[in-house]
Amino acid sequence: METQQFHYDNKIVQKFLYATMLWGIVGMLVGLLLAFMFLFPNITDGIPWLSFGRLRPLHTNAVIFAFVGNAIFAGVYYSLQRLLKARMFSDGLSNFNFWGWQAIIVAAAITLPLGYTTSKEYAELEWPIDIAIAVVWVAFGWNMIGTILKRRQRHLYVAVWFYLATFVTVAVLHIFNSLELPVTALKSYSVYAGVQDALVQWWYGHNAVAFFLTTPFLGLMYYFVPKAANRPVYSYRLSIVHFWSLIFIYIWAGPHHLLYSALPDWAQNLGVVFSVMLIAPSWGGMINGLLTLRGVWDKVRTDATLKFMVVAITGYGMATFEGPMLSLKNFNAVAHFSDWIIAHVHVGALAWNGFMTFGMVYWLVPKMFKTTLYSKGLANFHFWIGTLGIILYALPMYVAGFTQALMWKDFNPDGTLVYGNFLETVTQIIPMYWMRAIGGSLYIVGTLVMLYNIVRTVRSGSKVEDELAEAPALTRVSKRRVAGETFHTWLERKPIQLTVLATIAILIGGIIQIVPTILVKSNIPTITSVTPYTPLELEGRDLYIREGCVGCHSQMIRPFRSEVERYGEYAKAGEFVYDHPFLWGSKRTGPDLLRVGGKYSDNWHLNHMYDPQSTSSGSIMPAYQWLVRNAHDRTGVEAKMKAMISLGVPYTDADIATAQEHMAAQAAQIEENLYTDPEFARTYEADKKYAQENGEEFIEMKNREIVALIAYLQRLGTDIKVKETEELLSQNK
Amino acid sequence: MGVIYVLLAISICVALVFFVAFVLSVKKGQYDDAYTPSVRMLFEDEIVDSSTNNNQNKSQTE
Amino acid sequence: MGTNYDKYHMLLANSIPLLWEGIGKYVMQNITCYHCGEDCDTLKVFFDEKHFCCNGCKTVYEIFSTNGLSYYYDLQSSAGSTPNGVSGKYDFLDNQEIVEKLLEFNEEGIQVVELYIPQIHCSSCIWVLENLNRLHASIKMAQVNFPKKKIRITYDSAHLSLKQLVVLLAKIGYGPSITLDDYTKKQHSVDRSLLYKLGVAGFAFGNVMLLSFPEYFDHFVSKPGTTEYWLDQYKVVFRWLMFAFSLPVVCYAAKDYFISAFKGLRSKLLNIDVPIALGIFTLFTRSTIDILLDQGSGFFDSLAGLVFFLLVGKFFQQKTYSFLSFERDYKSYFPIAVTKLNDNGHDENIPIHKVKTGDRILIHNQEILPVDGVLISGDAQIDYSFVTGESQAVHRTSGDKLHAGGKQLGGALEIEVLKSVSQSYLTQLWSNSAFSKNKASEFQTLTDSIGKRFTLSVLTIAILATVFWLFMDPGKALNVFTAVLIIACPCAIALAAPFTLGNMLRIFGQHHFYVKDTNTIERMAKITAIIFDKTGTLTSSSENTIVYEGMELTNGEAALLKNTLRVSNHPLSRSLYKILKNHQIYTLDGFEEETGKGIHGKISEHSIKVGSANYVGGKSALKAFDTSVYVSADENYKGRFVFKSKYRSGLATLFKKLTKTFLLFVVSGDNEGEKYRLKKLLPFGITPFFNQKPEDKLRFVKNLQQHQKVLMVGDGLNDAGALAQSDVGIAISENINVFSPACDAILEASKMNRLSDFLWLSKNAVNIIKASFLFSLCYNIVGLYFAVIGQLQPIIAAILMPLSSISIVIFATMGTTLLARRLPTKN
Repeated sequence: METQQFHYDNKIVQKFLYATMLWGIVGMLVGLLLAFMFLFPNITDGIPWLSFGRLRPLHTNAVIFAFVGNAIFAGVYYSLQRLLKARMFSDGLSNFNFWGWQAIIVAAAITLPLGYTTSKEYAELEWPIDIAIAVVWVAFGWNMIGTILKRRQRHLYVAVWFYLATFVTVAVLHIFNSLELPVTALKSYSVYAGVQDALVQWWYGHNAVAFFLTTPFLGLMYYFVPKAANRPVYSYRLSIVHFWSLIFIYIWAGPHHLLYSALPDWAQNLGVVFSVMLIAPSWGGMINGLLTLRGVWDKVRTDATLKFMVVAITGYGMATFEGPMLSLKNFNAVAHFSDWIIAHVHVGALAWNGFMTFGMVYWLVPKMFKTTLYSKGLANFHFWIGTLGIILYALPMYVAGFTQALMWKDFNPDGTLVYGNFLETVTQIIPMYWMRAIGGSLYIVGTLVMLYNIVRTVRSGSKVEDELAEAPALTRVSKRRVAGETFHTWLERKPIQLTVLATIAILIGGIIQIVPTILVKSNIPTITSVTPYTPLELEGRDLYIREGCVGCHSQMIRPFRSEVERYGEYAKAGEFVYDHPFLWGSKRTGPDLLRVGGKYSDNWHLNHMYDPQSTSSGSIMPAYQWLVRNAHDRTGVEAKMKAMISLGVPYTDADIATAQEHMAAQAAQIEENLYTDPEFARTYEADKKYAQENGEEFIEMKNREIVALIAYLQRLGTDIKVKETEELLSQNK
Repeated sequence: MGVIYVLLAISICVALVFFVAFVLSVKKGQYDDAYTPSVRMLFEDEIVDSSTNNNQNKSQTE
Repeated sequence: MGTNYDKYHMLLANSIPLLWEGIGKYVMQNITCYHCGEDCDTLKVFFDEKHFCCNGCKTVYEIFSTNGLSYYYDLQSSAGSTPNGVSGKYDFLDNQEIVEKLLEFNEEGIQVVELYIPQIHCSSCIWVLENLNRLHASIKMAQVNFPKKKIRITYDSAHLSLKQLVVLLAKIGYGPSITLDDYTKKQHSVDRSLLYKLGVAGFAFGNVMLLSFPEYFDHFVSKPGTTEYWLDQYKVVFRWLMFAFSLPVVCYAAKDYFISAFKGLRSKLLNIDVPIALGIFTLFTRSTIDILLDQGSGFFDSLAGLVFFLLVGKFFQQKTYSFLSFERDYKSYFPIAVTKLNDNGHDENIPIHKVKTGDRILIHNQEILPVDGVLISGDAQIDYSFVTGESQAVHRTSGDKLHAGGKQLGGALEIEVLKSVSQSYLTQLWSNSAFSKNKASEFQTLTDSIGKRFTLSVLTIAILATVFWLFMDPGKALNVFTAVLIIACPCAIALAAPFTLGNMLRIFGQHHFYVKDTNTIERMAKITAIIFDKTGTLTSSSENTIVYEGMELTNGEAALLKNTLRVSNHPLSRSLYKILKNHQIYTLDGFEEETGKGIHGKISEHSIKVGSANYVGGKSALKAFDTSVYVSADENYKGRFVFKSKYRSGLATLFKKLTKTFLLFVVSGDNEGEKYRLKKLLPFGITPFFNQKPEDKLRFVKNLQQHQKVLMVGDGLNDAGALAQSDVGIAISENINVFSPACDAILEASKMNRLSDFLWLSKNAVNIIKASFLFSLCYNIVGLYFAVIGQLQPIIAAILMPLSSISIVIFATMGTTLLARRLPTKN
């Protein structure tokens, strides 16, 4: 029970801080590039791995898991040790956590631009990386719980509770949303289909993103804001109440991303009710954070760290007020799929996560390097330009969101759409995209100024070494655990705990088997006319996924008069029973494609993909010329179909056997359709002749990627539409 | 829509885990004193200045 | 930047008065002590270019700065308290047997002790007390519990004894108060069952509510009678999950209601818990039957919500002031041990329970006599004001009989014990029946009184409705019967009192009037007569007015008098010194003090004698009732200073307000000396009673209670009996950390003149409860309408139940807060 001397591990915190700043800049740069691609669609013309579709997931993953992820680890590793008065449980695990996480980020930065994506938002990484994430996350959790078990401070401060909650829930969410059946090394199909995949994805989407971006940051707020203001938190009791009320029922959220979609009504309404209730715990946290500064508001005037934190908490308040409002069905009817959602996301991300991280960095770096910040002026400059950046980002997006959504719904007296062509609504909001790009660049300029400021501070400070600390060991007055025992030997001494953990392990194993069987059984086809995709269409769908088309195009027509008028019959749950993964999408930068099948000719699609501005002038869609030129490797289709069979899609063995011939026939048919356009015939024959003369190897059109994509696009939504018109005809005969 | 079973099962399991954590933490007396921890976390007294053992706080705060 | 901590204060709720004072001091430009903030005009100590009001503060500052604890002054300026260096105060800790009793954990060299330190008031105190290991290496860990003002210290007993630890704490101004109470109390385990129940109910309510929503939504969306395709498959799952969640709510969370209902029924007393238990039971059975026979989705969410709101009400009502204790009796006033002289001459400390008749014990200055005994030697100046009410210190010579409880003001005394502690005259008082009865349980609260009428009326309505439906449509009869019982469950009524009174409790607390529990407020509302004690209650025990009778002192004599008083530390001379106007300080040529008689000072040719009548040589003409100090200069008698106890400000207006609605009495243990001055204060027709022994006071209260509801206001141990016997007992205390007898409420002396406002507020609080009863009745009527016509759908119950509870809670809390706003906040 003697006073033990130990060192806090500061080196790991230093590493995570550097990673935070590095990936913050990278993530924001990709974001800025995307913003400018709205204005100049063909900046990265012809480079497949820099196209918008592939870069959007890179931006979201980089900013969420790399920038915010590393910030969380830095804050947790620093505050946890001091709150528990103990060094991290094992340096090995800490370093494994660091290097593992950076490796995952690099892997993502490689695979996403190359098109290896599962298309499920914020979970786009392929199955090997998912497993790696799970392993590293468990290592982080093990390290944290180990530190808690050998702590020297009996009371667990509220921030520690938030860290624990984050670990448990994000682990569960990640595991259940990444249940995907691998087909090849970097390709897998989601175990769930259609409506169910949507529900699980957005159950993960809301909770993982919210849990990953809110709960750990609330923990950081409860540690860093009192420390920076040197004032105790406003009401410790309120923080306890608001934590437990948040946790007990938190995990019900999710459906508010799917309002007016094919999800059953009662599930949608459940999501609405829950999201509106969420405002209480969130605002409990905000009030507790802001009122902690009572008595030190004059310090906020001069001290940049506190200014960052105040705006961060206010941003959190705004975003968590806007969230419940957006989940009300009538708001959602306007906002869903529009830029309003982008504004909501970025108010939350830039203000709450961004500014809180900057506040933490400005407070941590001088402390760890035992020096004062290089320049307070620059820090304040970063604050003002950052705030301006957020405003210039969010306001235009709100305006763009309102304008576009209302234009979509505008009707002429005779019942026709005022803006029949979707493109008119896009060109209308180009100026707002300009302002958004400027806002984004201001924000990143601020971050670069911070980087410079921190580098100068680090250089002027002394080398970071582990701080020596002393604290008496916690008296094992209770017989729970004798110090020095490893976790496992302690476990063996506890038969009950051992059995409980063993059952949980078996349970999880069991679930992996039970889940598919339950899901498959409930996929009974409610609409008989819906049949699985043909092999070529399946390959085309994978191209759709690879190019990230889901980032700008939705496949979910809502039961509104304007959408039915513009796109066709609204989506029914039964249409998506064979969609592994679902492709409903969450943003309509481009028009909805659910009923695009048969709406345009194959030639139109070819010309459009080759040069979008040629077929629809003023379009901001980037060109996909490599699809038109490259040969399409269709050898893996049998493996894909076998995987689909095990997921419940009724392909027969015969289908698999004849897959190659069927694809060749369908591709030939499409090539034949393309020939109807004389212009195409002329240029295609000229290319063929030219290739034969110089002996280059010429790829038949039917073997190119574009043909498979056209096959898929032409199939979209045709299962229902055709039948509808025939019925109408037959009825009024 | 069989996935509702899965989601329900997981949500309730996680909620139960946290409920057990709630009961344990109350039993271990984590919430007996709901004020002092908020002040105690502000002290950095356990940092020992490796060079001089006594006025470590003086140097640390300047 | 963020880290270099600047001098800004750490504002904490209870340190604001200190701060206010501090600022006041600066404005008046006189120097305050760097350590404790008192203004140091008497003697200024200058050390390390800082001012200190006394050596005590200087030594504490020295200790802190040498041990690296100077951060104490950065955290909060002048947060310290002057160490009252009374040596020998903790000698009883030498006795191992006492130490064993006080320790919480004592095994192989590690000891854990929990001490109560009243001086803890700000974060600097927390910081320095948690860094004790810097003061002494073998202190391992110290953990402060700020709300309870307790500190748990773990230390290595090989190198540091409990006594050394306590002396160390006393040296830095944080001397713990260890009384007989700590010695005898057992390890009480904290009862957290309500928190678990609240957790279960909250957890279940949250999830069941969400599980019940799908059916409600579907009820509006799809055509009546049909359910949406998928929901039809999962309805059963949701319902049985709701059942699973409600099981622990009914069996565990609502257990208390069933038990108290059963006890009520067994003792033929229909309290409010009977209809509640009935409501919960019917809710559960009806819902289970509904989901079994697939007749509906059941009322599980209303059930869970009901239990959750009731438990929140109970939790809100349970507010206690952890740093106060209302059950103090003589044990926490008497010392733990006393020094016994055994025959071979040397003395040893023994616990006072071991003191037998015939033993010889030694009583030091400022120590309390624990037993009745006969004075053997030493000059006895006993202050009995706190125990018997006589304000004047009693002078006893050897051979006289001394009562337990008096405080010795002069030097050390030697006493032969007559009766042991438990038999002594004062402690007999505690065997009186007044202390055993539990006022709260006997008093029938307003809610319970409603309970009887409410249950009967509900049952009659239920039976009538069922009979009616038996004729109309027998199938629905049972349905209607259960529906009436469900909707009429008095959840709102049961919440009205807890939230009104709980909120009133908090408001009183903000005005420094700490009430034991909400039941007391209800009893206060019914008071019709008030009895005041004089000593210490109407008069303030700390300052007193001093009147000079006799020949005028010349300037030289006054200066000489001031200087002689400055040297003696007798309490009377110190209070006299403070009153006299400032004179030039010079040292005396000669000074001698005869304990118990007086002091004699000489300068060049003048001399002055101050002391008792015969010492000074003056004629003690009339038997002075009040303590008085006689002065003679150069051997001729000049005059005397008479000490009159000072009445608290604002008493006259208070009495004028009170007589309008209450019968007033003043009962005092003191002699008639104050009769005339008291009469001037009291309104016409009120005659004070004097020379009342503690038993007399108790009897006085008892026969007044025949036809009145009595409120007793007192402060000393002598009022303990009367406080316990009266319907409501309020103890007045100058400083809430010091001892106040067992009572129902503690009122800070400075807020005494607000007593009428508090009584008025508690009366109106009861009116608010009655108003909210009416308010909740109309909810019940609406509910009954649906139930009686057999249309009670789960959705209607789900809306009505929480709506009624929440609106009652808001109405009650708003009502009390607005009511309290009329109370002027400035004292």
